[in-house]
Amino acid sequence: MKIENNIILSNVFNIALILLVGFFALQNLNVMLTKLRFVEIADDLNASFLEMRISEKNYFLYGDEAALFEIRDKINNTMESIEAVKNDISRAIGEGNLEKLRDYLKRYSIAVEEMRRSGTRDIQMETMLRAAGRKLREFSEETTRLEKRKVNEIIANSKKVLFYSFWAIVAMAIVVSHFISQKILRSLREIEKLAKSISQGNFSGVRGAVPADEFGTVMNAINTMSEELKTREEELIQSKKLASLGVLTAGVAHELTNPLNNISMIAQNFVEYHDFLNRENRIELMKKVEGEAERIQEIVRNLLDFSKPKEANLREADINDTVQKSLALMQNTLDISNIETSLSLRPGLPHVFIDDHQIQQVLVNLILNAVHAMSPGGTLYLSTEAGENGDTVRIDVRDTGKGIPPEFISHIFDPFFTTKGVGGTGLGLSVSYGIVKNHGGYVKVESTVGSGTTFTIELPVYRGKEAGNGQI
Amino acid sequence: MDKYRIMVIDDEKIVCDMAKMSLEQEGYEVETFLNAEPALKRLAEQKFDIVVTDYKMKGIDGMEVLRTVRKLYPETRVIMITAFANLDAAIEALRSDVHDFFPKPVKIKELKASIQRALEEENR
Repeated sequence: MKIENNIILSNVFNIALILLVGFFALQNLNVMLTKLRFVEIADDLNASFLEMRISEKNYFLYGDEAALFEIRDKINNTMESIEAVKNDISRAIGEGNLEKLRDYLKRYSIAVEEMRRSGTRDIQMETMLRAAGRKLREFSEETTRLEKRKVNEIIANSKKVLFYSFWAIVAMAIVVSHFISQKILRSLREIEKLAKSISQGNFSGVRGAVPADEFGTVMNAINTMSEELKTREEELIQSKKLASLGVLTAGVAHELTNPLNNISMIAQNFVEYHDFLNRENRIELMKKVEGEAERIQEIVRNLLDFSKPKEANLREADINDTVQKSLALMQNTLDISNIETSLSLRPGLPHVFIDDHQIQQVLVNLILNAVHAMSPGGTLYLSTEAGENGDTVRIDVRDTGKGIPPEFISHIFDPFFTTKGVGGTGLGLSVSYGIVKNHGGYVKVESTVGSGTTFTIELPVYRGKEAGNGQI
Repeated sequence: MDKYRIMVIDDEKIVCDMAKMSLEQEGYEVETFLNAEPALKRLAEQKFDIVVTDYKMKGIDGMEVLRTVRKLYPETRVIMITAFANLDAAIEALRSDVHDFFPKPVKIKELKASIQRALEEENR
């Protein structure tokens, strides 16, 4: 689920909870107001009833007839006021209790009326009157007390509900924010890992399922970006290759001169001495021409092979073959520049798992750099040997050139860094670095100004398919 | 009179063979070498009129052959052949008194004419 949706959902939940609590509190408040209103009315009634009882007492004590009239008037007034607020009362204590109150009042009224009409002081009648009055008061007071207690209960309840719902909301907020922040942190860590691996030249992107949230969108964007980077890197490798091809071509042009010269000389002699030559001589000469044509073909094929853009194609290979092929490509350039070559290839090295062309490209680049660093008469040392712990194979490309100043050493693998002025693109070493890195190996450089530079490539030893030396 | 002796040094066997074939047709005594070291040894025991040498060779190169020959056997003329149309090399060779300088591919008729001229100069 999207994180945005998570947040919205938790907010909706919290708001619903708050509304519910608010509604409940409002409801309680309404009930409380009704009850309070009744308590207010009941207080008035109780006061009236008390006055009635006092009048009643006056009647019994002093035989004051007027007291009965007073009671009657008061009963009528009370009845009127009850009728005026009967809605409030029935809401508070219910229709049944209201009826009961009316009933008690009526009975009291009847008792008073009978007492007044008879005019005599019958003991039974007196007892009835007292009883009716007492009941009325008792009922009224009892109801009032009950309602007061209910008000207190409601207040206590509301307090409790507000208290618990407050903590529920707080707990909810903590849990939800923790859950969301955990989710965000987890995704951020994932993305951080991804960005790191991209910066190390691993363009494989996110493997497996991508979450369906905002971070999934980011990861998809990064995946697209890393695919784009991979394409760009391939383009960069290819463009760099074409750049070194320019240099190679000069060498190759010279390399072609010898077989062409041979063909030319054979042809000149063939024409000149055609008549002196017997059949065997002619066939022999033409076979030589064919041999020289094949030699040219081989040179051209090598050149085409090198220039063709290729998907990285890892194969088990002997590094010595690759070094020799690279040297063959550069031999003429070395010859023209009058550079001696010293080759020291250790036989029987463990095989490596490489794209032969890409590693050739790296070596051609390094040899080219060596040539540029040296003046005529310099020596290029190429050597291979096993790495120190046996997990790698090591290739050294050493020149006796001018060396690299220490302040440049840390930059030489940076793209577009060049010390060759307009002559260099500054991409050769950075592309080489990328290629070797893609092979799970590394390039390092040691240099002493004035005496030369050594580039060392270490490539992992091939351990068979099941070891999975990685894909490019 | 003895035949003129011509030495051809080139690490391309076909150049040696074709030069030998063509120069022998002209009536010269021709010896060929694939590298300079045995060629210089041979020069020590046999006088040659002309040395045709490649410029770029493994070990002792053409320029060194030129200098050695001009120093030790000043009567022997040297003709240089090169696969590199290299002005610097040509100038250096001229300074070391090369008789002629041919870029590959070699025109055999021109080479023969050049040898002819060298021999005529020698005889003058």
